[in-house]
Amino acid sequence: MPKVKIPRKSTHVDMTAFCDVAFLLLAFFMLATQFKPDEATKVETPKSVSSDTIPTKDAFLVTFDKGGRVFVTYDDAEKKKALLGKINADKAVGLTDPEIAKLNKAMEAGIGVPFNMLKSLASKDAADIAKVNQPGIPVTDTLNNELKLWIAELLAVNGGSKPKNVMLKGDNGTNYPTFINVLDAFTKNGIYNFKLITMPENVPSGTYLYDERTSGKKDKK
Amino acid sequence: MADIESGGGGGHKKGPGVKKSKKLSTRVDLTPMVDLGFLLITFFIFTTTMSSPTAMKLNMPDDTAKDEEQNKAKESGALTIMLSKNDHIYYYEGKLAEDGSNFKSAIFGKSSGDAKGIRDIIIEKKQKLGAEADKDMVVVIKPNEESTFKNTVDMLDEMTINGVKKYALVKISVPENQLIKLTEGGSK
Repeated sequence: MPKVKIPRKSTHVDMTAFCDVAFLLLAFFMLATQFKPDEATKVETPKSVSSDTIPTKDAFLVTFDKGGRVFVTYDDAEKKKALLGKINADKAVGLTDPEIAKLNKAMEAGIGVPFNMLKSLASKDAADIAKVNQPGIPVTDTLNNELKLWIAELLAVNGGSKPKNVMLKGDNGTNYPTFINVLDAFTKNGIYNFKLITMPENVPSGTYLYDERTSGKKDKK
Repeated sequence: MADIESGGGGGHKKGPGVKKSKKLSTRVDLTPMVDLGFLLITFFIFTTTMSSPTAMKLNMPDDTAKDEEQNKAKESGALTIMLSKNDHIYYYEGKLAEDGSNFKSAIFGKSSGDAKGIRDIIIEKKQKLGAEADKDMVVVIKPNEESTFKNTVDMLDEMTINGVKKYALVKISVPENQLIKLTEGGSK
């Protein structure tokens, strides 16, 4: 009987297709990625059913964390610099130009120190500023509500016009008085419209909003 | 893709003296490249923030307005919700009775077991008012100093979920807060 010869197959697998998939996924994630911005403090926001997107233009952001510390961020580079310059002049902080530039950079992550500590914060190296445990802008004291002054200066820099988007970002565990003090600082300056930053959540079924959204009507909120 | 066929056969004739050059394989081992690809993918997966946060609108009233200019809420349509520590909710409809008899407690979300959920209370109230609900129903939210920011946001969200058109965030009054303290002191 003749032996059946089994042809020896190569164990070499063609990796090309695999490679294609890998790089396709890579390209997708690279494009879909938005890096988490630097933050001066860790904040876990509450959830809401709201589906509005976060505005990024002309946005003044106030962050308050679990411990009640308050930080400010402003995304408009020009106005931010003008704001810091004005605070420097009005509150006699005594910052030099390079120090203002340093704070301007630090404000991307958030500034949370009383006016009298701005100088010592700015005198540090740029890399060290991020590591400083900032005590937060004072808001609790009604007599010394520095956030109110920040907003007043902001309005002055903007020529009296309100920033388009005032956003508040708070931690789940922040106690209510901190929140209401922050709100007060704005309402005292005539700003009444806010956007609270929250994480998305599903609408519970069987409720008014659920019916409205599923029936295809536009969310009027 | 990675391998290019070299020399398709009878392209040009080679003379008898021409030495045949050794055919080198053009096949490249792609394994390290795939490794690198997946490593980068993992990196981007971890650094990416997939669920982007959303913005929830909040409009506060102008508190410099004089008392007589402020809207008066109809008593029949008023529902006052007070928030306290440990996610406790207290509520009363209309005016708070002198003896506190209409002062009740509730929990967040839907009812579960004996505890009444605030959502069901709002829905009941809406149904009771019927067609007048949009016009007359006013929910007053009064968080006390021990409640958290999450409680407030959840409550505001509940207004959106249930389609309550008029609601307000108001400072809690001293007697109401005392009543909460009294209830919490007694229940423990």
